[in-house]
Amino acid sequence: MGGEHELLLGGARDPDAIATRAIDDVLRIERKYSRFRDDSVVAAINRAAGGAPVAIDAETAALLGYARTCFEQSEGRFDVTAGALARAWDFGGKPTRRPVAAVLRDALAHVGFGDVEWDASHVRLPRVGMAIDFGGIGKEYAADRVATIAQEAGARHGLVNLGGDVRAWGGRPDGSAWRIGIRHPREERALASVALADGAVATSGDYERFVEIGGIRHCHIIDATTGEPVRAWQSMSVIAGLAIVAGSYSTIAMLMQDRAEAFLANAAVRWLGVDAGGAQRGSFV
Amino acid sequence: MAAIDGEVAAAQPCDAATRRSCEFARDGARLNPFLTAALLLPGVVPAAALAQSMPDQGLFSLQYLDYRDWQPGAARMTVRNPSLYVMTPFAERYTFEGSLVYDAMSGASPLWFDTLSGASGLGVTDYRTAGDAKVTRYFDRYSIGAGVAYSHERDFISRAGSLDARWWTADKNTTLAFGFAGESDYIHPSARELDNGRRHSLDFLVGITQNLSPVDIVQSNLTYATGHGYYSDPYKTLDQRPGERRVLAWQTRYNHHFTVADATLQLGYRFLADSFGGDSHTFDVAWAQALPQGFTLTPSVRYYTQGAADFWFGPPFPQGFVNGQDYTADTRLSAFGAWTAGLRLTRTFADGWRVELSGDFYRQRGDWRIFGGGSEGLLPFSARWFAASVSKTF
Repeated sequence: MGGEHELLLGGARDPDAIATRAIDDVLRIERKYSRFRDDSVVAAINRAAGGAPVAIDAETAALLGYARTCFEQSEGRFDVTAGALARAWDFGGKPTRRPVAAVLRDALAHVGFGDVEWDASHVRLPRVGMAIDFGGIGKEYAADRVATIAQEAGARHGLVNLGGDVRAWGGRPDGSAWRIGIRHPREERALASVALADGAVATSGDYERFVEIGGIRHCHIIDATTGEPVRAWQSMSVIAGLAIVAGSYSTIAMLMQDRAEAFLANAAVRWLGVDAGGAQRGSFV
Repeated sequence: MAAIDGEVAAAQPCDAATRRSCEFARDGARLNPFLTAALLLPGVVPAAALAQSMPDQGLFSLQYLDYRDWQPGAARMTVRNPSLYVMTPFAERYTFEGSLVYDAMSGASPLWFDTLSGASGLGVTDYRTAGDAKVTRYFDRYSIGAGVAYSHERDFISRAGSLDARWWTADKNTTLAFGFAGESDYIHPSARELDNGRRHSLDFLVGITQNLSPVDIVQSNLTYATGHGYYSDPYKTLDQRPGERRVLAWQTRYNHHFTVADATLQLGYRFLADSFGGDSHTFDVAWAQALPQGFTLTPSVRYYTQGAADFWFGPPFPQGFVNGQDYTADTRLSAFGAWTAGLRLTRTFADGWRVELSGDFYRQRGDWRIFGGGSEGLLPFSARWFAASVSKTF
């Protein structure tokens, strides 16, 4: 799990012990769902692609259920099986040119959550080369679980920030709301700030991982229906009750491109975006 | 799937593949599919936020209430009421709850809402002390509680016992409640001896609390009370009420928390059918707005309306009285509508202290009745009450 993480707790008798339990759970989720670890559940599922079904537990099935909602609500743009597209673009390798059309076509043929065979106890990826990646969900899920673990252990006030996805509860110990800054997508400063006692803020942006090819920024947020990186927004921040919900809205809004505003208006959430031209849209007010 | 440009794909209208999203576009305002899906994930919301189970903290609360009512040209009743409440967990799986109340009442009538001039005694000062205690045992999926209550006034003694059981689902999203209470009252007015000033009643309750989402909760309770004995007002001449009474009440409350505004909308409705004949409806709405520094401000409005009892007769007194038949002129049993406006300010401190101030203003008129005609010839009746409370969790 990349990025900077932060955990603030208040109102508890033993914050260190609570923090340890919460962090242990974050590490547990990381181990269980990282696609970079050979011993993870995700690695086992991906290794068996095209082969026999893999047994899964209730938590994994619930994550697949959540992934289905994201897939359906985004009309297929948000797809946890889009790993082949990320490989085709290979942002880590700092490419200097686009993948050729045949490579992209082949990658798209290995994407399709709708084809995944799964139920409450098993999952099977139907084609060799298909891969699942909970990267767009797992971090936010972990943040919500940190909030739950800490609250159940007695921390009445808290804030957890996992790589920019923030969940807060109970306000600050002095009774005021937490103040959460939103990063400017192009400058080293805050774009805005939001006061939040209970809730979550998540931001997706084209600045997290990208390459410039021919002067055009290609970011890591890829529309799984087209294989193309999105370009309509530099960043999108959404407030919701849960980090996982805020994260889904912010990422899918990026993927919805020109239709993002209508999508978010339907959701009746507060949001703040920076469009491709650098103009602020939406409002946290 | 061709590698078409993203903008082209985005501009396509609803087709077979996207129909679901089009439906979402219509339903989005009232249904959040992401939230629904997220709630199926283990541990994203504290179980305690979803439903009640064993409290892990105790609570101590002290409240002072000051009540006053009046009619045009006349101040009537004043009540001052300090009360104390304590709840504490003990022995792992038990809680104890207890409260004490002391009322000091003074004014023109021993009955708050009595408007029948001349039928009351002279100025009255009375005191009421009341207390109750309850022990609840918690199991993994249910709890059982037993309680007793006692109330004493100069001319009235009440004793009650209760049993209740609660059962909740494993996800704690649904709680069912069952309750049973028996009450025995003894009425012995100072003005005259009653042949049999006793009253007995049984109360039954079934209720459900359902979490619809982390921000929506609905609760619905059905209560039935049946009693027999002395229901008349011993301080009124010619007051003769039936010897038994059955009351069926259905109450539903719905709370919705607006995460964006950090506020909770509280809606309530109660329907009450009374064998005396006066059915009533109560509508409540309140908005609990969280503010900086731990403050919460809650404005509220309540509308109440009731029909007259079958044996109620309006002025001039004693119109409608027939010896041997049920009769009352008690305006509390008349037909009227009433509005209550209230404002409550709460401040919660980090160390568990909580201070609350509230004020409510009540006004009732015969012609504010809905679902039927209001009783005529009665003066408007007004009341106000202020309350201050301090509580601490421990």
